[in-house]
Amino acid sequence: MRWWPRKNREEDLERELRSHLDSEAAEQEASGLSEEEARYAAQREFGNTTVVKEDVRQMWAWTSVEQFGQDLSYGLRSLAKNPGFTTVAGLTLALGIGANTAVFSVVDTVLFRPLPYPQSERLVQMWSTNANTNRWGIWTAYPRFDDWRRLATAFEEMAAVRFWVVNLGGGDHPEALNAVVTSSRLFQVLRVEPMLGRTFLAEEDQPGHDHVIILSHGLWGRRFGSDSAVVGRTVSIDRQSYTVIGVMPPGFRFPPDLSPAQSIDAWLPPSPDPSRNERGSNNYYVIARLMPGITAAHAQAEMDSINHGLAEKHSEDRDLGVKVAVWQQQVGSDVHPALQILWGAISLVLLIACANVANLLLARGTARQREVALRQALGAGRARLTRQWLTESVILALFGGIVGLALAYLGLEIFIRLAPDIPRLNEITMDAHVLIFSAALTLGTGLLFGIMPALYSSRTDSQGSLKESGSRLTASSGRARVRSVLVTTELALALMLLTGACLLLRSFVNVQRVDPGFNAQNLLTAFVMLPPSKYPEPRSQAAFFHQLMERIALIPGVECAGGADSAPMLSNDAGPVSIEGYVARPGEKEIQAERPKITPDYFRAMGIRLLRGRPFTWADNENSPPVAIIDEAAARQYWPNTDPMRKRVRLEDGGPPVWRQVIGVVRNVRQDGLIEAARPEVYAPLQQSPVPYLVLAVRTRVEPAALTRAIRHAVMVADKDEPLFHIQTMQQVVSDSVATRRFQMGLLALFASLALMLAAVGIYGLVSYSVSQRTHEIGIRIALGAKREHVLRLVLRQTLRLAAGGVVLGIGGALILTRFLSSLLFGVSPNDPLTFVAVSMLLAGVATAASFIPAWRATRVDPMVALRYE
Amino acid sequence: MASSPAERIELLQGTLGMLILRTLQFGPAHGHQIAKHLQRTTEDILQIEHGSLYPALHRLERKGWIAAKWESAGKDLKREFKYYRLTPAGKKQLVTEESKWKQLTRAISRVMWSAEEG
Repeated sequence: MRWWPRKNREEDLERELRSHLDSEAAEQEASGLSEEEARYAAQREFGNTTVVKEDVRQMWAWTSVEQFGQDLSYGLRSLAKNPGFTTVAGLTLALGIGANTAVFSVVDTVLFRPLPYPQSERLVQMWSTNANTNRWGIWTAYPRFDDWRRLATAFEEMAAVRFWVVNLGGGDHPEALNAVVTSSRLFQVLRVEPMLGRTFLAEEDQPGHDHVIILSHGLWGRRFGSDSAVVGRTVSIDRQSYTVIGVMPPGFRFPPDLSPAQSIDAWLPPSPDPSRNERGSNNYYVIARLMPGITAAHAQAEMDSINHGLAEKHSEDRDLGVKVAVWQQQVGSDVHPALQILWGAISLVLLIACANVANLLLARGTARQREVALRQALGAGRARLTRQWLTESVILALFGGIVGLALAYLGLEIFIRLAPDIPRLNEITMDAHVLIFSAALTLGTGLLFGIMPALYSSRTDSQGSLKESGSRLTASSGRARVRSVLVTTELALALMLLTGACLLLRSFVNVQRVDPGFNAQNLLTAFVMLPPSKYPEPRSQAAFFHQLMERIALIPGVECAGGADSAPMLSNDAGPVSIEGYVARPGEKEIQAERPKITPDYFRAMGIRLLRGRPFTWADNENSPPVAIIDEAAARQYWPNTDPMRKRVRLEDGGPPVWRQVIGVVRNVRQDGLIEAARPEVYAPLQQSPVPYLVLAVRTRVEPAALTRAIRHAVMVADKDEPLFHIQTMQQVVSDSVATRRFQMGLLALFASLALMLAAVGIYGLVSYSVSQRTHEIGIRIALGAKREHVLRLVLRQTLRLAAGGVVLGIGGALILTRFLSSLLFGVSPNDPLTFVAVSMLLAGVATAASFIPAWRATRVDPMVALRYE
Repeated sequence: MASSPAERIELLQGTLGMLILRTLQFGPAHGHQIAKHLQRTTEDILQIEHGSLYPALHRLERKGWIAAKWESAGKDLKREFKYYRLTPAGKKQLVTEESKWKQLTRAISRVMWSAEEG
């Protein structure tokens, strides 16, 4: 069996023609010519050897094309003749290929696609690190960034950015803008040009020159009517005059991993942020573009030495290191494991689909044995036949692939609509990468499931098959074994997926059961931010919020209202705290805690239980002794053996550095999410340490969303220029915090169900087929007196054997694979026995149910009919 | 007659193929033998270059109507020849081609000789 005899046949042809010429020359010599004359005569008789060879080659090429055309039309015809088979197989493949293509689109965008800026591979992110624990991910203080910018030579450009909210005044209503405050060279780092106007000049991040603003395309359309003369106009930002200097183009997104719902409205210098001068406030994240020819490692080395110098000069920098990381790898890095798991899962589903189709083809192959034998007897080589079956498989795969592509497109649309905030979600499209992947996958799938049936079908003992009559063709035992193995493998793969899905489900249930420490029901949250220009005095800030709280509490339907500048899952303010008399443990540098400033009713509104002492009241103001309330975590950590009541703490946050007395202990809350453990909190009254920014927490007697208008009105009345923003119910916030987890679980459950369904179809097919093969045998048994139950047991025995094999193989595979899930699990181990047992039973049950119909049909076999079937 | 190589081959291959199949009906032969046989039997009327046999031969082989095998022959078995023989499919094809040829010649003679009478 020669597959690619191209070189061989050239040599063969050469040999053959030479042999001809030699023969002719010999004859000519025999009739009297000299050797040379004979050769010449032979050549003349023969003709032009080169032309002959060319003609033969042309003929070979043509017949190849012809043969391929024949294979194609043969394949199409035979697929058309079996519409049932073609539909089932085609749909199965469409599902497998389509799902894989969709998942790949997501993976490709989030993991592989370069960021949407020119030469984005040269962009790096710079983190501060904790030099002692080497934990990194700390943001950087603006003054520190300033030093980096000044001293480093490895970077072409560098910029520091921070999210901020500003109030856009004017018009009929003020609006809170999602903004980014940045140093002046951000757009040079990104290499993006504005659509109108210009970007910042180098000096425009310094005071005196920094009241300039660049608008986003969306804001420009929304608030400025797409006015092309907007550049140069002045606008009111936080009640101060700013000049519009440019508008960004519509496709521009920064930062790139914002979800589609969030978008940045404007970019401005750090003028509104007081912390830009605070070396101890690590609030900025820094990106930079490497100089051409410089590697990240090189840059890291330079930054390390710069860092060393800075640490010696500034005490705030003493424990900080620096890390240079390629930006593209950072974006979305926390969803990488989940995406990889999903991709692995969907590949398994595709394998199951292939196994199913291979099984179908094998079954059909048995039925075509006579046809194959006939054609072989007529001279078709095995290679030719195999090629033909493979072509048919590839055509089938092509159908599946095309429908699959359509399914993938639909699926992606739905996915983007339903998915939680994964980074770069808005960038997900089916681009050339994806199409190439899909085409390659289709071809590969076709070859994968087609090769075995093709090889089997083309191998027959032609004599034997031709002699036997139609329905008593027994599958060769080899073929039957292959089919059993395929079905067992399908069951095993399905079991592995089911196990994963079940583990994720249990994790999710565990997460939902976590007590967050507060009552998320009937709780409405919103943000208010006071511009420093209008409320420069802390006292005015405190007074505003006092008034606001009382006003809101009067709204009908409101039970009570509180506020804090740091609330669970909404905002935070962690930082150093001093504890009187506390001896630091070795290796512990400074005490960190969450330091919310709250109004008196905050705990009541949030449903945080007071364990000891008393809550704050409005009487705890700037004229009364400084007080604080701590949570259980703080109590346990810093006063493990003594009573924390009446001990003293000091908040090192730039506010009045007074020692506060602990007057109460409250329950822990989970600030960062349901999964992360509670961190220590030290609460202080807002009146004693005012801030211009507050998260409102309003407990309602009715549906929280219904009171939105009333609350907004109350804020308006307090100050008509202060908008309320990010209004959401607490339930929504908590739900969003687990949205990703829920989505992952949902997807994996979907894949596992698909897999189970496909495996069930596979078992159904196999058992049906084997029953039809054994009709004769069953008929004899029934005729000899076997009862229905006996026949049922006979058929189900096969199913149980398959299921048992699948379970054993599947458990083995699952034990190996579930450890990759560990990062996603919560409260359940990857080898949780309960899950394994439950899933195995589910699988066995489904397998039995799937084979029930054919088994039942077996019991209804009429012995007379069966025996007559010769 | 057709002048371009492609046309020439096609015409020749069609009937040439039939002639080759018929030749091989008598028994296996290699290319040179087939060429000589055709020359002799048609008393050299059919001027066919020996070389042009080969595209036809290989086409028949591709179609599966003849099968090839290298064998040693000649004096003291030192020379090797590529022998072709008819396959069962080839036998069927020969019958088909024969009847097609007969139909063709019948049609042509009808045109030629009945026109005279008409």
